Amino acid sequence: MNMNLYSRGDKTFVWLNMFLVTLFTLSTLYPFIYIAAVSFSSGFAASSGKVVLTPINATMAAYNYVMNEPQFWISYRNTFIYTIGGTIMSLLFIIPGAYALSRPQLYGRRFWNLMVAFTMWFNAGLIPFFLNMRDLGLLDSYFGIIIGFAVNGFNLILLRNFFENIPQSFEEAARMDGANEFQVLWKVYLPLSKPAIATVALFCIVSRWNGFFWAMVLLKDDDKVPLQVWLRFIISELQDDEEFSSTLVDAAYSFETVSAAIIVCSIIPVLLVYPFLQKYFNKGILLGGVKE
Amino acid sequence: MSGVILDKVVKRYGAVEVVHAIDLTVEPQEFVVLVGPSGCGKSTTLRMIAGLEEISDGTVEIDGRVVNRVAPKDRDVAMVFQNYALYPHLNVADNIAFGLRIRRTPKAEVLASIEEVAGILGLTEYLDRRPADLSGGQRQRVAMGRAIVRHPKVFLFDEPLSNLDAKLRTQMRAEIKRLHKRLGVTSVYVTHDQVEAMTLADRIVVMQDGHIEQIGTPMDLFLNPVNTFVAGFIGSPPMNQIEAIVEGGADAPRATFAGQSIALPKLDELSSRVGEKVTIGIRPEHAKIEPAGADAISVELDLVETLGSEALLHTTLAGNPFIIKAETGGDVEHLNQVTQFWAGPETIKVFDGKTGRAFGHPATSYQGGS
Amino acid sequence: MPDETRFQRVLFVLRRDWQLYLMLAPTVIWLLLFLYKPMYGLQIAFKDYSIFRGIAASPWVGLEHFHTLFGSDQFVRAVKNTVIISAFSLLFGFPVPILLALMFNEILHKTFKKTAQTIVYLPHFISSVIIAGIVITAFSPSVGIINYLISWLGFEPIYFLTKPEWFRPIFIGTGIWQEAGFSSIVYLAAIAGVSPTLYESAVVDGASRWQMMWKITLPSIMTTIIIMLIIRIGNLLEVSFEMIILLYQPATFETADVVNTWIYRQGLQGGQYDLAAAAGLFNAVVAFVLVIAANSLSKRYSRTSLW
Repeated sequence: MNMNLYSRGDKTFVWLNMFLVTLFTLSTLYPFIYIAAVSFSSGFAASSGKVVLTPINATMAAYNYVMNEPQFWISYRNTFIYTIGGTIMSLLFIIPGAYALSRPQLYGRRFWNLMVAFTMWFNAGLIPFFLNMRDLGLLDSYFGIIIGFAVNGFNLILLRNFFENIPQSFEEAARMDGANEFQVLWKVYLPLSKPAIATVALFCIVSRWNGFFWAMVLLKDDDKVPLQVWLRFIISELQDDEEFSSTLVDAAYSFETVSAAIIVCSIIPVLLVYPFLQKYFNKGILLGGVKE
Repeated sequence: MSGVILDKVVKRYGAVEVVHAIDLTVEPQEFVVLVGPSGCGKSTTLRMIAGLEEISDGTVEIDGRVVNRVAPKDRDVAMVFQNYALYPHLNVADNIAFGLRIRRTPKAEVLASIEEVAGILGLTEYLDRRPADLSGGQRQRVAMGRAIVRHPKVFLFDEPLSNLDAKLRTQMRAEIKRLHKRLGVTSVYVTHDQVEAMTLADRIVVMQDGHIEQIGTPMDLFLNPVNTFVAGFIGSPPMNQIEAIVEGGADAPRATFAGQSIALPKLDELSSRVGEKVTIGIRPEHAKIEPAGADAISVELDLVETLGSEALLHTTLAGNPFIIKAETGGDVEHLNQVTQFWAGPETIKVFDGKTGRAFGHPATSYQGGS
Repeated sequence: MPDETRFQRVLFVLRRDWQLYLMLAPTVIWLLLFLYKPMYGLQIAFKDYSIFRGIAASPWVGLEHFHTLFGSDQFVRAVKNTVIISAFSLLFGFPVPILLALMFNEILHKTFKKTAQTIVYLPHFISSVIIAGIVITAFSPSVGIINYLISWLGFEPIYFLTKPEWFRPIFIGTGIWQEAGFSSIVYLAAIAGVSPTLYESAVVDGASRWQMMWKITLPSIMTTIIIMLIIRIGNLLEVSFEMIILLYQPATFETADVVNTWIYRQGLQGGQYDLAAAAGLFNAVVAFVLVIAANSLSKRYSRTSLW
């Protein structure tokens, strides 16, 4: 609509609204800019609270420190292992599972769906899950983290709903053409479901990349921990670590700049997949209503 | 060539029976159309032949073999779906070849088949296109191509034209008919559109509420509907139906309604029905406006719809709508003056007032239309 | 077929659809192994669990752990904190995404709208460790921007994260900051479904944009709002305890410790598995009742079940 057609009251309303949205947006954006600014500032400037918007005494010192810290590379590598391995594992379970659950001819379909849904309503809790992982011998192992969180009810149901909304005639046509169930899934349903699968894959990637609690609980070996666990260690443990602080007194970096630098390094991959995420999550959230 | 035989076929969903013990024999090379209002069980019946629905009771035979528990792919039938179900990620050639490739047909043979089918359907220049880039009629043709490429024993069509606009529908209808003539494959076709049924079918099966009401050639159904349902379903516009009381004897039976009376055909059954309620049926084509004979029925004219060479006169008779199809002769003015019509007794159908079943089957010669 | 037994029926279906079952099997096995087996393990809530004896062989102790739990000041405090934090999160957090969606809807400039949305959705995808890191830095007494502002205004800096009275506002505010943008998507989608003709006829009738927002947009998305509210009530106890673990410290346990953080400390850090499992069972049962209640509420209200 044309702004010129607006009354004065409407114009005021539109501008005020724009102002408020801008304010909210900036308050969301500011912390990220601030962290980036801190990471490029000198340790002294950061520790004395001088950084507000732009780097003060700009330096790469914090990044140098981080890059030279072997644990950074170890945990970065581990995060990649968990993210890629976990996402592939999830898709291997979820895609065929969701397809089977979406087929009306599946005998006992209500029961199987209830079995999935029930896990979303009732959760045994932290302790039994942990003891179970221990009993299965999955503590302190890459495989444990990758397999232990492979299936997620929300993603499974999201994909199932998408499959359900693909007209049944595609499956029927393929079946009459002689395709078996695997061929129907692989040659017809997968190509038709690219956006839904991309959504689920991106959700998996993000949750794997960000996951920290269970990694912290299940992994003891420093060689296996992901980036988030190490970052948490830096933030919460090193802050009060006198040795770390004292070695840093005269350095060009400080506790603040180092943790900011790790945060920046950890956010960058998320920012890289974010455009793809954004393309799909609008759809993904609303998959229930998607029609071809 | 092979036929399809349905023997007391029943479909139940849980306790609800939607198709009740249907018997139907489709002769080899025959084109049979199942027609009826939505929910009448016609699609379910077709899908049971295809193997997409389980058969609850009875048997389906294709080419002399009972197929109740044969998977769809092993029944050697092909189906055209209402929404075509063209794979959007494949181009026309790959859509047509999908079934052949799944069945591991040798490459050279696949290519030859695509070419042949594309030639038959006039799709040769579109083989590289995706379904999204095709017009409705072209998509429809691809869907048929996918069916004929496999040389199945039976073609099944599930309302294949209902997604097209009126003009394309007429065009594709003719094309399907031509294709059937050329290939001579046994076909079962489902539609809710009686015009499609009339124009395409060798025989029409009229269904309602999971029952078969009547099976017959299009002309058969038009002239001799077995009950008021078929009479009201076949023909465009459908047969006018008037509730009336039988009078007179077997020699000169008449029907009276709202103070008027009309001569009925001489049917044996009528003699015992004097004083009873019946429904009389008069096709719009059989109601003549001129010359108005002695036996004329008065009507109140509401509206004249001009179609060109013909016009539909919407009138009111005994409080109910009554439609007359008349020739315009290039001038509609005189139609605006119509106050009465007459209909030869031999063209009038009489139905039982309670059951709706038609009395007798008088030998009528077709006189209506033009 | 008419005269077949249930067994024959199953056999037939299995033979016909075995491929589907093959596809379903990994998921079902996974669910049994990783989610249903722990439910079996929940019995330690009623046992004197010993690692050496294992779950099955540990002796039963009845409701002893529950007596211990409700006799413990710390646990009762954790329950209280859970309820308070949840309730306030709902009270303050629920309206924000709706307001945000209404505001986004009023923005005419497409690029500006898209950019703003891109930015406010972002925090949802950032790990809680990083969000906590940002919060800790921002509220730090020495380097934080908040205390920078406070001192600039001439007040004494506050060490926010050690002050029990500040924990809940900071935690709830962080939650809103992180999730409000992303949660607005649902409402924006609902708004997108409102027929434009409603607005056009309102414009013809001389309505202002402000009036249209309150009289057309808001009522049109009421169903969505109520369904989301019901879902939120169903998940009331799902406090994001990961974030609490990252933000709290012994000094703030008084207001910050919730049931799951208590379980984490007692069970996973302290090794009192049976007692912690009992607390978890209590939490899960209450949550389950809430979810079921919410679902039946939504069925009644919208005639659509949530799942």
